[in-house]
Formats: sequence, C-alpha cells, structure tokens
Amino acid sequence: MQAWIDFAMGPLFAFSLGVMALGLLRHLVLQLDTLFRRKRSRLKYMPWNKMLHDSLEWALPVRHLTSGNVIFSNASFVFHIGAILVPLFYAGHIVLWEQWLGVKLWSIGNGFADVLTVITILAVLVLLVSRIAVPRLRAISRNSDVSLLVLILLPFISGFLAAHPAFNPLPWQTMFLIHLLSAEALLILVPFTKLSHIVLIFFDRISEIHWQLRPGAGDRVAETVLGKEAKV
Amino acid sequence: MAETTNSGPAPSAVIDLKSRLPYHIEGNGSEGRVERFLDAFAAVLEHTDYKPLLDSYCRTTNKCNRCSVTCPVYQVTGDPRDVPCYKTTLLLSIYQRYFTLGGWLNARFTPNRFELTEDVIAEMAEVFYRCTACRRCTQECPMGMDHGLITRLGRYILSLTGIAPKALQVSVREQLEGETHNTSKVPATAMLHTLEFLQEEFSDQFGIDLDVPVDKKNRDYVFFCAVSDYLMEPDTLLGNLAVLHAAGDWDRWTIGTGNFDGINYGLFYSDWHLERIIKQLVGEVDRLGGKNILIGECGHASRSAHDFVPVFGGAQTRPVVSFIEYTLDCLRRGKIKLNPDIITEKVTYHDPCNMSRGGWIVNQPREILKSFVKDYVEMTPHGRNNYCCGGGGGLVSIDEIHDFRMKVGGKTKADQIAATGAQICIAPCANCKKQLKELVEFYEIPCEVMGLHDLILKAIEIPGGKSAEERKEEAELYAM
Repeated sequence: MQAWIDFAMGPLFAFSLGVMALGLLRHLVLQLDTLFRRKRSRLKYMPWNKMLHDSLEWALPVRHLTSGNVIFSNASFVFHIGAILVPLFYAGHIVLWEQWLGVKLWSIGNGFADVLTVITILAVLVLLVSRIAVPRLRAISRNSDVSLLVLILLPFISGFLAAHPAFNPLPWQTMFLIHLLSAEALLILVPFTKLSHIVLIFFDRISEIHWQLRPGAGDRVAETVLGKEAKV
Repeated sequence: MAETTNSGPAPSAVIDLKSRLPYHIEGNGSEGRVERFLDAFAAVLEHTDYKPLLDSYCRTTNKCNRCSVTCPVYQVTGDPRDVPCYKTTLLLSIYQRYFTLGGWLNARFTPNRFELTEDVIAEMAEVFYRCTACRRCTQECPMGMDHGLITRLGRYILSLTGIAPKALQVSVREQLEGETHNTSKVPATAMLHTLEFLQEEFSDQFGIDLDVPVDKKNRDYVFFCAVSDYLMEPDTLLGNLAVLHAAGDWDRWTIGTGNFDGINYGLFYSDWHLERIIKQLVGEVDRLGGKNILIGECGHASRSAHDFVPVFGGAQTRPVVSFIEYTLDCLRRGKIKLNPDIITEKVTYHDPCNMSRGGWIVNQPREILKSFVKDYVEMTPHGRNNYCCGGGGGLVSIDEIHDFRMKVGGKTKADQIAATGAQICIAPCANCKKQLKELVEFYEIPCEVMGLHDLILKAIEIPGGKSAEERKEEAELYAM
C-alpha cells in the first residue's frame, strides 16, 4: 500500500499536474492565437473596459447572488471559495507545491481549512441535489455535470476523513490513497472538461470580438454551399 | 472535415417541416437535410472565425441555468427547450460530435451518443426562432457566453440548409436582388411621393415650406431609416425633419434614391446577407460622397450599421451616427429648443435591445426626454438590463407567429408597461414600435406607443414657424 501511495505522491502527481498545466496552456495559446493572430488585424475595436468590468464583477458576483436561482448560485459561489483556497493553501498541500513547483504558499490554518472543507462539501451536495431534483436544471444537465460534482466530492471527503481519524471508517492508508487518486483524476480532467473554465472564462467574455465577423466569409461560405451564382 | 464523412449521420425519417413550421421556407427541398446541414456547418467553420469560440463554449458551458431566469420567453413558458443554454447546447453538441476529435472518439466508444437527425433539425428550426435574440441572458451568464451569437449562428447554418422564415427571406431577396433595393419594395418614386406628403404636412403644422434634399453630393449626413417608416411612421420622420431644420443643418444632409433602407435582416440570421446589405448601404454613401451615416429610429438598423460598417465597410469607413445621438448633440449645443410645457402625459421609455444591450444608447434618449417631459417614469428593469419587446431577432416580421409574440415573447414587456401606468411609451425602433403597438392593443393597456421623434415633433420650437402651443391647440381642434 505504501508503495502505491509513494507512486501516487510522486510520478503520478507530477504527471497529473503536467497534463493539467499543458492542457490549460494549450487552451490559452489557442485562444490568444485567435485574438492576436487570426483576428487582430481585422479587429476594429477591443472592449477592454467591458472585459475588465465583467471579469471583476463575476469574480465577486454579489449583485448576481440575490436574484434568480438564489440557492444554486450561492452554493456555487461558496463552493468556489473552498475549491480554490483548500487545494492551494491547506498546510498539507503547501508541502507538495514547494516540492514540485518550488513555490512556498501561506497556510490558511488547519481549523479554517476544516471549516472550509465542510462548507465546500455541503455546497457541492446542494449543487448535486439541485441538478437532480430541480426539473429545469435536470432538463439541461448532462451526465458529466452530475458525475463531475461526484468526482469533486471525493477528494474533499476523503481528505477530510484522512485528516480526522476519529471519523474515518477505513484504514488511513486506503483513505489517503483514495484522496490522492481522486484528486489526480480531477487534475487530469481539468483541460478536457468544463473545469477548463479556469482559463477559458476570460475568453468567453469577449463575444464582442466574435461579432466582428470575417469580411468576405459570407460570400465564400455561400459559394461553397450553394454554388457560384448563389441567390438569396 | 474528415470526421463528417467517416461517421456519417444515421438516416432518419424525413420530417414534414412545412406543416410543422409553415412560416419557414425550404428552397432546396427536404431531402438529405442532415447531410446538407453538416456540409453547411463545415463550410462555415472553414471560412469564418467561429471555431475558436465554439471550442471554448463547448468546454465551458456550465448548465447552471442562470440564463433561464433572465429569459422573458422561458419565464412565460417554463419549457426547458426555451432555456437559452439548451438552445446553445443543441448547436454545440453537433459541433462537438461531428467536428472535434473528442466527439468522434466519444461516438466510437459510448452507447448513448448524440446523433444529428431530422428531429434535431426540426427542433432547431423551431427553438432558434423562439428566441428574440435580445441577449439579456448573456449578462447573467457567469461564463459570459453569448447565446444570442450562437442562436444566430444556428439560424445562419439553417438558412444555408434552406430553412429560414419566409418573411425575412423574401424581404432580403428584394433588398439585395430586387429592383427597389429595400425590404418593403418601395420604389424610389414612391419614397419621393412620401417626402412630398411629408413636406405638405410639415407646412400645415409649422407653416414652413421645406425642400427635402435628395441625392445631394458631399453632405455631412446621409440618412437611412427603416424603410417601413416611409409607409407607417410619418410622425417619426416629421420629427426627424423638424430637428434637422430647427438645428440649421438643412444643407448638411441628404437622402439617396439608390438606397434608403437601413433595415438589415442579415443581423438576425445570416452573415452573408448582413455583409452584402452593409456593403450596399456603404456603396450608396460612397456614391453620394457623404461623410457620416445617419440612422433613423431603428434598433437593429442602428446596431448593424454601427457595429458592422467598420467591419465590412472596407478601408475608408464612415462614422455611424444614431439620430438620437444627433438630436442630443443639437439639444446640448442649444441648436434646438423643446418646449417643456407641451407634454403633460406620463411618459416611459422602452430600450430597444439592439441599442441598449451593448451600452451604446441608454442615457442619450433619457437626457432628451427628461429635458422636456415633466412626468417621466422608468420601467423596471430598464437600460442595459431591459426586457425585449418580444418581437426582436426578426420575429416581429413573421405575422404567422403573432400569437407567440403576444402571449409569450411580449408578455413580460406588457406587464412592465402596464405597471408604469404611463400614457405614452417611447420606443425608438421600428420593430419595437410595431410589436408594442400590437401588444398594448392585445392586452388593452391604455398607453400610446410612439417613437422618440414623434414626441419631439410635438414639443419642438422652430424659429419662424408656429409655436408648439399653437400646434397643440390646432391638433386638439382637429381632433374634436
């Protein structure tokens, strides 16, 4: 068992982190390529102000938490706080970042991390129940929307139990291995699922740019689809 | 696109779209609709810039359902198919399944894979036109996804497959390939007759004889309004003329007889038409050597010119000025005077989505209105966050869906107008005006819908002409 844990904390962790980093980098490069190479020469205006305003507004979406789908929105907001802080700043994780990335982050303290973890788990449960029980949410939810939530629950629950032997029904090593493997699975999935919004969220906001269509494209598409002398 | 041919779509029963959606036309017949849709999609991906956007949206679409609470259509129907994200997903699933490696792999190894069928195409043809393209949902999307843009892309690909509303298609055909080059088939001579009528009317009202400048070269402004204004909205045009005359800019503007229609239905459903119509408009301004493009009271004409003349207009594009901006400029400089004692009714203002959503024209009309209207009241919500009239995205032109526009699309707006208790609702947009006039009639709301310049026409003071007071008395006498 210890050999498995060593493997999961060593090469497998490096691999997962690498997949996530490279995958996100690929998204970033492709989007920047679109902006600065494919479209740049033709861009007539760039909505910098709107981008900045929107990004800041949604980083702290206070205005959006009081209206429409209030429970789901608030659960989602709370979930993000835990999902960003705990993986990055929990004392046990800081060691990992220092070992693999050479970055020393501050610890948020174990007590606070515990509270955050419990809140995050509850928030995910609210999201999960909403997805299954609220008809209008279920109607547009895909399998991946539900299964990702379950997968996100795993590292939080197993991490909490591994850190609190009093509640832990399984041997510590088993629980810790579950924690490692589920967290790594999540890291690997980041670039391939909606979790990639970590990077892409900034590029989705700029639809103004995509409204600036490519001149002449309409004619070329019409010629391809409808033939040379195409009529309306 | 290799994936398309390798994993061709499964054959499915041909659906009789014509009986299901009688207002749609299908130029190319109904055979092989699925293949044609995919071919069109492939051509669009090859020649346009939509691909990176679709890639990003495919990944980030979160299905959080925030958009549903903002959508006036969904609020009324409660039908999951009306959730903006659901519509977007329809198109994204097709993209992902047939044009990405992941989708291709997924289709090989999962049992419940998505397939494009006749059913899906019929559903798209229906739900993409149950959206008024007001883009209100975009503001509430945490990811910032522009469902309006995707819905429009879906309509574009459908139109290449031969599926588009007859009303829009016929108008665009006349505008681009007909003899009159405008959507309402108004010949230049008929437009000139209307101008003569407007001149007589102006003379009756103000006691001033006008000679509307037609085809004058090298003027500062070339004027385009929704061509339907010449047929249905004489007061809006009279208001425009009054402002131009009162401001002393009579020698600075002109109307072209070659092309005088600002309407651009391409904005609603086709990049191809959008670009060609813009080029036609710019061509007329080139012919006249005009310096600015002045767009009358019309939401989508304003937006299509304002946003797309720079994109499609070539190297020498010209500034696009909305008539509302022009009037406000005149007011601020003291070039026109509006009598604050004429309008005693309670007035509210409806923001046309195409002007206000992007934040372009929100405060300008309010500044004008508040300068001469005593009892001004806002709708809730308003401005950038307004509700659509229910006829946006070209729906107002489709008479066959009058019921949908009244009972579903415009229900929220009707409630909003009724809640203000206003006697006059200002809507500076040809589309909104038509829809709102039908709405207040349908719901029997005691409110008169008119354009901004219709109201300005009542209150404007022109030196040397009859005063606003006199005109009001005359109008009251005439009404009795």
